[in-house]
Amino acid sequence: MNKEPVLLKRIGKMRDPASVEEYTGLGGFAALRKAVQMDKEDILKEIDTANLRGRGGAAYPAGRKWRQLYGIEGTPKYIVCNADEGEPGTFKDKVLLEKDPLSVIEGMLVAACVFDSPEGFIYIRGEYHTVRQAFQKAVDSAAAAGFLGKDILGVKGFDFTITIVSGAGAYVCGENSALLNSIEGKTGRPRVKPPHLAEVGLNQKPTLVNNVETFACIPVILNIGGKAFLEMGAEDGGGTKLVSISGHLKNRGVFEVPLGTPFEDVLYAEEYGGGPFEGKPIKFLHLGGQSGPLAFPEQIGGAYSYKGLEDKKLAIGSGAIVAMDESVSVVEYSKKVMEFFVYESCGKCTPCRIGTTRILELLEDFVSGAAEKGDIEKLDAMLTQVMALSACGLGQTAGVAVRSALTHRRAEFEARISG
Amino acid sequence: MNKENLLDTLLARQNASKEGYLDREAIAAVAEEFAMPETRVFEIASYYAMLEIEPQAKYVLEICNSTPCYFSKSNEVAAWVEGELDVKPGDVTGDGLFSWHYTPCVGACDIGPVIKVRDTVYGDLTKETVHALIQDLRNAKNGKKFR
Ligand SMILES: Cc1cc2nc3c(=O)[nH]c(=O)nc-3n(C[C@H](O)[C@H](O)[C@H](O)COP(=O)(O)O)c2cc1C
Ligand code: SF4
Ligand code: FES
Repeated sequence: MNKEPVLLKRIGKMRDPASVEEYTGLGGFAALRKAVQMDKEDILKEIDTANLRGRGGAAYPAGRKWRQLYGIEGTPKYIVCNADEGEPGTFKDKVLLEKDPLSVIEGMLVAACVFDSPEGFIYIRGEYHTVRQAFQKAVDSAAAAGFLGKDILGVKGFDFTITIVSGAGAYVCGENSALLNSIEGKTGRPRVKPPHLAEVGLNQKPTLVNNVETFACIPVILNIGGKAFLEMGAEDGGGTKLVSISGHLKNRGVFEVPLGTPFEDVLYAEEYGGGPFEGKPIKFLHLGGQSGPLAFPEQIGGAYSYKGLEDKKLAIGSGAIVAMDESVSVVEYSKKVMEFFVYESCGKCTPCRIGTTRILELLEDFVSGAAEKGDIEKLDAMLTQVMALSACGLGQTAGVAVRSALTHRRAEFEARISG
Repeated sequence: MNKENLLDTLLARQNASKEGYLDREAIAAVAEEFAMPETRVFEIASYYAMLEIEPQAKYVLEICNSTPCYFSKSNEVAAWVEGELDVKPGDVTGDGLFSWHYTPCVGACDIGPVIKVRDTVYGDLTKETVHALIQDLRNAKNGKKFR
């Protein structure tokens, strides 16, 4: 398997990550030059062949999303980059935004070219103040070099600008419809869907929303070809994935892992996680952010790929891998996860607002030893309800981690029941 | 002003304010600038966690307590901070300099446990570095601006 990085290859090699000259010297903007010469249908075909799955968490095929928007009438079409990066344990978009921002800009430019879009937005979480400054510098230098603005690459009518929008601390704004509301200066709560954002998006216009890493993959696909991209990864999802490792593994940080790499290598190989920190065995992992499932040792094996994980009822999600050693209680961990959802629920719908609070109260009982016989069943039923009745992805996934804990470590919950 | 600049404008105003919050005048000014009703701007200021509608301490220490940090000793960090400052979360020290509270993940989990103060994240904290951080902030009050 080829382990040469494609997303992180320029990182650390540029003195000034905002420099168009350095970026171009390391292969930058070659894909955009290709794109303006290519038939749009052929660009879409390459992305289809690459089987690029969205890197923001939902893993929706980018090719399919682009095709849907391509088929929609209506102008203008907007290009939006989701850089809200709010999933706890996820810090990989930050690396691209700060250390190779022009690759994200190039990905957005290819989209602009495909959709004849005049305007793009990137929504960067409020906490990333210095990241926003770094990205602004790259936008400015791209504009100065003629890569943003009018008649880009000398192509008459290829006009595109990118505006940076700041978040202000709301996890739910990472949900794409809430994100668009937030850009429009509204309170960042999710919209009722349908209508689909491809049709009725930003300012009611057709809109593409993709994650930072998804956009950064686009130039790679055009440079090496969709087929090579697919072959770099796994059949059910091509390319490499940026993985954010935190918690009780020796090497914490962002790593570029070819999809299909043995899962155990991601955790234990020196070049990735490096094995447990302080030598205590890993008790469980939390994958893909707080909205993802916990993974227990008996589920860890096979390939780190979309299907490899799905087969074990796990998910890659944002690529977060939080490792917890034996010192951590699954029950207490579950409680902390629910605290997060209670705090971040936007309050728009009752099942999520009230339901997550009730679940947290029950989990607090388990932690304190006040839980009674029948509470496990009660907990289980509440998880089902909240996830089934919530209006957006936040509530719909709020119980995933706790549910996986209950499924695989029911005994730990039982041991906390008094009487 | 275009609406997409609203949050940025509110954050900038808050940062430039003396007491770290958006008072009624600030809300009114932004409402006018964006041609929006004041109540809408107020609603937005109350919705987003980073926007404040009450006066703040000069230095607000935000301790991340999402699971990667929490189980990497951020609970101990909270105890150290509470010990140094002698105030409960949300309360301001007598000299008006400090307060502390928890925050969800700030995207620096690889250096957890972390404290965020304004736009700076301090990571890999130990009892000693927490102490030093608070000392530095305290001393910076004499003229030197801490950023
Ligand atoms: C509560 C919630 C938070 C989300 N946060 C993010 C985020 O921070 N970044 C992101 O890219 N996608 C996030 N998503 C997923 C987006 O809604 C959307 O699926 C994604 O931006 C699409 O891009 P992709 O297909 O390239 O992954 C979130 C979804 C939900 C429900
Ligand atoms: S599920 Fe939760 S976060 Fe989503 S809209 Fe309903 S209350 Fe808001
Ligand atoms: S969990 Fe603390 S910074 Fe991410």
